[in-house]
This record gives sequence, structure tokens and C-alpha cells, in this order.
Amino acid sequence: MKKFPLVAVPVLLFTVLIVFLFQGLFSDPRELDSQATGKPLPDFSLPDLMQPDTSYGPDDLTGKVRILNVWGVWCVTCAVELPYLTKLSREQDVTFVGLYFDQDLDPDFGTKTLSRVQQEVTDMLSRYGNPYAFNIFDVYRDMSLDLGVTGAPEHFVIDAEGIIRMHHIGDINERVWNNKIGPLYNRLRQQNRSLEAAE
Amino acid sequence: MVPEIGNISLTLALVVSILLAVYPLWGAYRQHDTLMATARPLAIGLFFFTLISFVCLVYAFVTDDFSLAYVAQHSNSRLPLHYKVTAVWGGHEGSFLLWVLMLSIWTVAVALFSRGIPHAMVSRVLSVLGMVSVGFYLFMLLTSNPFDSMLPFFPVDGRDLNPLLQDFGMIIHPPMLYMGYVGFSVAFAFAISALLSGQLDSTWARWSRPWVIAAWSFLSVGIALGSWWAYYELGWGGWWFWDPVENASFMPWLAGTALMHSLAVTEKRKAFKSWTVLLAIAAFSLSLLGTFLVRSGVIVSVHSFASDPTRGLFILGILVILSGFGLLLYALRASQLKSPGRYQAFSREVLLMGNNVLLCAATLVVLLGTLLPLVHKELGLGSISVGAPFFNQMFTWLVVPFVLFLGLGPLTRWKQQHVAALRNQLLLAFGLSISAAFLVSMSYSQPSYMAALGLTMAFWILITSIQEVLQRIGAMQDNDSMLRRLRKLTPSHWGMVLGHLGFAVTLIGISLVSNYEVERDVRMAPGETVSLGGYEFTFRDVVKHQGPNYDADIGIFDVFRNGEKVVHLEPEKRMYTVQRMPMTEAGIHSTLTRDLFIAMGEPLENGAWAVRIYIKPFVIWIWCGAAIMALGGACSISDRRYRMAKLARLKQTFSHPQTTTQTGEQS
Repeated sequence: MKKFPLVAVPVLLFTVLIVFLFQGLFSDPRELDSQATGKPLPDFSLPDLMQPDTSYGPDDLTGKVRILNVWGVWCVTCAVELPYLTKLSREQDVTFVGLYFDQDLDPDFGTKTLSRVQQEVTDMLSRYGNPYAFNIFDVYRDMSLDLGVTGAPEHFVIDAEGIIRMHHIGDINERVWNNKIGPLYNRLRQQNRSLEAAE
Repeated sequence: MVPEIGNISLTLALVVSILLAVYPLWGAYRQHDTLMATARPLAIGLFFFTLISFVCLVYAFVTDDFSLAYVAQHSNSRLPLHYKVTAVWGGHEGSFLLWVLMLSIWTVAVALFSRGIPHAMVSRVLSVLGMVSVGFYLFMLLTSNPFDSMLPFFPVDGRDLNPLLQDFGMIIHPPMLYMGYVGFSVAFAFAISALLSGQLDSTWARWSRPWVIAAWSFLSVGIALGSWWAYYELGWGGWWFWDPVENASFMPWLAGTALMHSLAVTEKRKAFKSWTVLLAIAAFSLSLLGTFLVRSGVIVSVHSFASDPTRGLFILGILVILSGFGLLLYALRASQLKSPGRYQAFSREVLLMGNNVLLCAATLVVLLGTLLPLVHKELGLGSISVGAPFFNQMFTWLVVPFVLFLGLGPLTRWKQQHVAALRNQLLLAFGLSISAAFLVSMSYSQPSYMAALGLTMAFWILITSIQEVLQRIGAMQDNDSMLRRLRKLTPSHWGMVLGHLGFAVTLIGISLVSNYEVERDVRMAPGETVSLGGYEFTFRDVVKHQGPNYDADIGIFDVFRNGEKVVHLEPEKRMYTVQRMPMTEAGIHSTLTRDLFIAMGEPLENGAWAVRIYIKPFVIWIWCGAAIMALGGACSISDRRYRMAKLARLKQTFSHPQTTTQTGEQS
């Protein structure tokens, strides 16, 4: 019987695995519990991507309903969604603000220069369309960290008070917009307009 | 009418599988010959009814019978005929029917080709396969029946097959993959039968070896085809993405590779018995786990089937019952196993064990990497993702010792090897492989260490394989010519050599393409030329083309090198009209040393297009290597010593089966 515990190891490991798989069945892997939802934007002070002299803070993202889009030129899915975002901004007047971060560009150790990044961004936007009102450059990626960004593209719906109302992981396509983001965005915009009208 | 026949056949197949699961096993338990004799006819019946059911579904597709919900969702009257046939396995229900068809093919093959194996053993094996079948036929009939009808209201036309699947690679990829997946059920059945009967000697290893090699070969081809398909059809130029679905097929392959080698030790040396049984259970359990992952929606993947918790729950149930039962049986019985084989620290046994451990470690890495996001989330630690860099790094660490052992293994003797006897040979092989890799690397303007490492490993396998063949024919005690001696080596020996060389070829492909590929994303208007890696790509024109069920823009490209025309390529951008889905058909020119790859991106203003151009050195070697490995498998199976009937006759003559296996000495 001395050998028994060892041969029983596989069946025990298997049991643990099954428990997890069973639990996994009843949760949606695409659903992320975002820490950011319902809270105001974290404090930040970051430069504009194209004009580094201009800088933005949380106050620049209030007064209007906006979608903060985390993206980068290195992100393939971002390139795929750009034309649709552009269409949304033109046809439905949706305001997008880019939160740009680059993987290779580290101001202290990076291999890419800022002007090179700007050139790539300009190329990509002229090729696929530019939906952005402006782009915030997340130099040290700390804003992304504060927001709990897990990758790109990701989207934050921010209401007129600067509160994050939704954190969407992945791209925006027609289906996502019509079923998930669009209704919330339009409702928030409606509320904001009626508030403004009341004042 | 025809769909109803299909449905009834499927139900009959379930009934037959229940009988198969019960009667022969009962017969084997009671030593009742008549009951055991039912195994073969029942297996044939199982195959027969499943085949009828499958043919009915094919017929429904070919005749555009949109009264079937499954046909309406996956076909269209304008779909070309050959794609109508392959659309049968284009969705969850139909692909599962293919899955059970494969299972019944393996079952009937075991029934027909096992005449040399004792009656009771065959009965048990077929019964276990019957139990596996019961689960899956129930699953089909209860949760995913392809014959579900939409009558009385049915659509006029179908929703069309996913354009990604309208492709040659997709015609053969799923059948091959499923043959491999399901094939491990035979090894599982043999292992369980051996555990049930308590006859855990080396004979079960010899009986199940050809089946494992066959399943493994199919799986190799299936995985390679999937990778090749992703390469030219997705238009991203990648050939492996560490996607959960790819991982799901890769895990049984790794476990199967370990099993194949471990079986060899068990058969020849009667060692590793307990370990081999566990691997046989594990390989099939991982196949089941893969099926679960792909079809339950627990994991995000580009190509998982529509998720439905009840289906997932059902497959999980099957997994719990089959694997749980197998592992429990193992826990109860394996402690009785004693491996009498004695061996020293430097011997073929130890090297094979080392590689088994590494293969299992690799399997665990893939398993953990695939499941970690799930576990992490369920523990309430939040969502994470595990990406390609993790897997790439882990595999780089694992493959180096693996290749070292792989080269050494065939050269060393069973039981004990004196280091001194091999030292010069090994030093020569090592020196040669490093210098060869160095020379090849130097021919690139920017040599990469990783590529050099990969090449060294590949040459190491190549050179040690040659040394091994030379050693083998040098040991022959006759004066035949070289050629005649080479022909004396057994097919299973050549199988091993081919398998190893195939791996080396794949390794060359992977290391060169990962380190030396070049790519450019450019905006091109007709008439413009872009140069990359010494080639000039000229974009001539774009022409419109009307396909049977799609509209296409075809880019006309000419590729030049040093002013001479190399090739004319026509990458396409298709829009499939029914599903409104754009598709990229890359233009690829393959030679042994490099692939030119052009993919059309999006149309831009003024007639310009976004174009992606790659030069991928030696990429085709990756899939050639897999083909060579599978060929090695085929070679091994063709070996005479696996022909059971002959073996049985010899057994009667000599009444001592061991004498017949002395001829084939291989690992």
C-alpha cells in the first residue's frame, strides 16, 4: 500500500480540474469585472500625442459623453475597427478620444523616437480613417494601468461628469455597438442634453 | 424522408453501442464464448448505422434540403458542390457526426484487424469503445442532433457556409484531426481492458502500439493541415497562434508522442508499465478535454463553436465518467504493477524516460497556459490572458534537452551504455552540428542566436540519425553490399528514423521562419513597386471577378529579383454575398527555401490598396516535417510484426510469442 498515494495523484488532480471546468461553464469568459466602472477617471496629466506641448487632465474629459479608446498602431484589431469608429463619429456624431500607448517606445530606454511614432500614427489614421477628437499620449502607460487596461483595443464610456460608465474589452463592430455600447451611449447623451436644456 | 432515415439510423447506432458496451464485457467476465462473439457483429453494425446516418446528412446537403435546421444554417443553394459536401462538418452538429463516424471506423477496424489477439481481450476493448460511443451518441441525440427539422416553416435558402471554411484545407483538416483525436480512444480502450483484466504484461503494449502510431500520424497530419490552412487562409501570415483550439489538439499530440515511446519501452523491456497505462488514459482524456474546450465555450477563441452550457455540461459529464473511471481504475490497480526491467543510469530506458518527462512537462505547460485564465478568474483573482510569448519561451527551454536526448536515445543500448564507447561519435556529431549551423547562420547578413540554436538542434538530430543507421548496418554480420544491408532494416526502424528526421525538418522551418522572416505593410496604388528582401513587388492592377457565391477584387502582382521575373501572383479580396463577410485569399509562391506572401488589405482612396507583403524563409519545411513524421508512422505500422494474424499463427507454431519480435529492434 506504500505506492498507493502516488498512483492516486492523477485522479485527484483530475477532480480539481473538473471542478474548475464546471465552474467555468457558467461564467462568460468575455465578461471582465472592471474595477473602473462607476468611478471617476483617475487623476492624470498627459500630453497630446501630436502636440506634446498641449496637456490634458480629467477636466478635459467632462461636459460631454465620450468614448475613450485605448489603441496603438501595433494593434491589428485596432486597425480593423478604425473604419467603423470613423463611420460612427461621422454619421452618429460619436466623440472618440484616443488613449495611445506604444509598446516599443519607452522615453528612457525605448528604441523608437516620438517623431517616428507620430509618423506611424499619421500613416495609419490616413489609411483607415481618423475618428478621434484628440489623442492622449500615455507616455509611461500608467494611465492605462490605473484604468485597468488589459490590452488593446479597449473602450471606456465616460459620461459628462467624467464618470466611467462602461469598460468594453475588444473591438467595436456593428453588433457590439448596436447591442451593447450604442444604447448606453445614446441614453447618456440624451440625459446630458436634457440637463443642458434645463439649465 | 432521407433525414428521417438518418435520424433513425443514429438512434439504432445508439442502441447497438449500448449492446456493445454490455454484452461482450459480460461475456469476457463470465468466459461465455457466445456473448463474446457478439462483439464483432455489433461493432460492424455500429459502423454501418453511423455510416448510413452520415450519408443521409451528406445527401441532405447535396440536395439543398433546407428543412433541416443544420443544413439551412451551414449551406446555400449557390455553394459549389464539393463545399456542400464539406459543409457537413462545417458546424457543431455535423462535425460531431463526423467525430462519431470516425469513432465507429476505429471500432470496426479494431474488430476486423485483431484476429490474433485473445478473444476475451478483443471483447473487452470493443466493449470499452462501446461505452465511449454510448456517451457520444447520447450527446448527439439529446443536445446536438443534426437532423433537427424546421418543418413546417423552412427557409427558401440557407445562410451559407462560413467563407473561412470554403477551402481545400478545410475539406481534409477536420477528418484527419478527428481521426487522430478519436484514435486515442483505442489506446484508452486497450489500457482500460488491460486494467480490467489484470493482465498488465507487455502484450497489451504490443497490441496497442500500431493503433497509437496510426492515431498519432493522423493527428500530426491534422494539426499540420490546420496550421497550413491558418497560414494561407487567414491572411495574417502566421502558422501557429497558441490559440486554445490549437492547444486543444496539440496536447493530445504531445501526450501521444510520449505514449508512443513509452509503449516501446513497455513492449521491449517490460519497464514503465504503470506510466504507459497512465499516458494512454491521459492521451484520450486530453482529446476529450480538447473537445470540451472547443465546444463548451469556456474559453475565448477565434474558432470555437457556438457555446451552449448544456452541451458543455454533457461533454464534461462524459469526461468525468470516462476519464474519472479510467483514472480511478488506474489508482486501484496500478499499485499491483511491477516493472521488472533493470537498467543503468545511462541507457536507452533512461533517455526515453527523460523525453517522456519533457513531453509531459510540455503538455502541462500547454494545459496550464490554456486553462490558467479560467482558473485565475474562478479563484476571484480577475481576468488574465496567457499569450504566445509565454508558450514560446517555455518551449524554447524544453526543446533543447529534448533534442539532446532525442539524438542520444537511438544510439544508446537498452539496459546499459558505456559512455566511452560513444564518446567520439557524439563529439563528432556535436562538432559537426555546431559548425554546420554556424555556416548556415553566417550566410545571413544578421545572424540570430536563436536560429543558430535551432539549426544546431536540427543538425544534431540529422547527424545522430545517420550515425545510428550506420551503427545498425555496421553491426550486421554478413558481407552484403551497403544497399542490401540498408534494405534489411525493418520498416518500423525506418519509421523511427523518418519520424525523427521529420521533427528535425520542422525544427529547421520553425527556427528560420521565426528569426528571418521579413514583412512590410504598405499602401500601394497600381503601377507602384515595393522592394523587400531583394525582391521587387510590382502592383499592376486590380480586376473585378465574380465567383459562384462571392465577388472578388483580384490584385495583379509581378515579383522580380535582380530584374528577372520570379512569379506572377494574384491575391484576392473576396466578399461573400450571403454572409456579407470579407475574406482574404493570399497570393503565395512557395519554394523549398522561401515563401513570397502577398495579402490584400483594405481598399483606400484613389484606387490604392493596403497591401501586406511577407518573405518567409523555409516556412514550408514546418509542414513537410509533419508529413515526414506521419510517413514514418505509416512505415512503422506496415511492419510485419504488427500483423496480428501472422503473429497468432507463429504463436501456435512456436507456442512462444517472444521469438517473433526479436527481428525488429527499435524504439
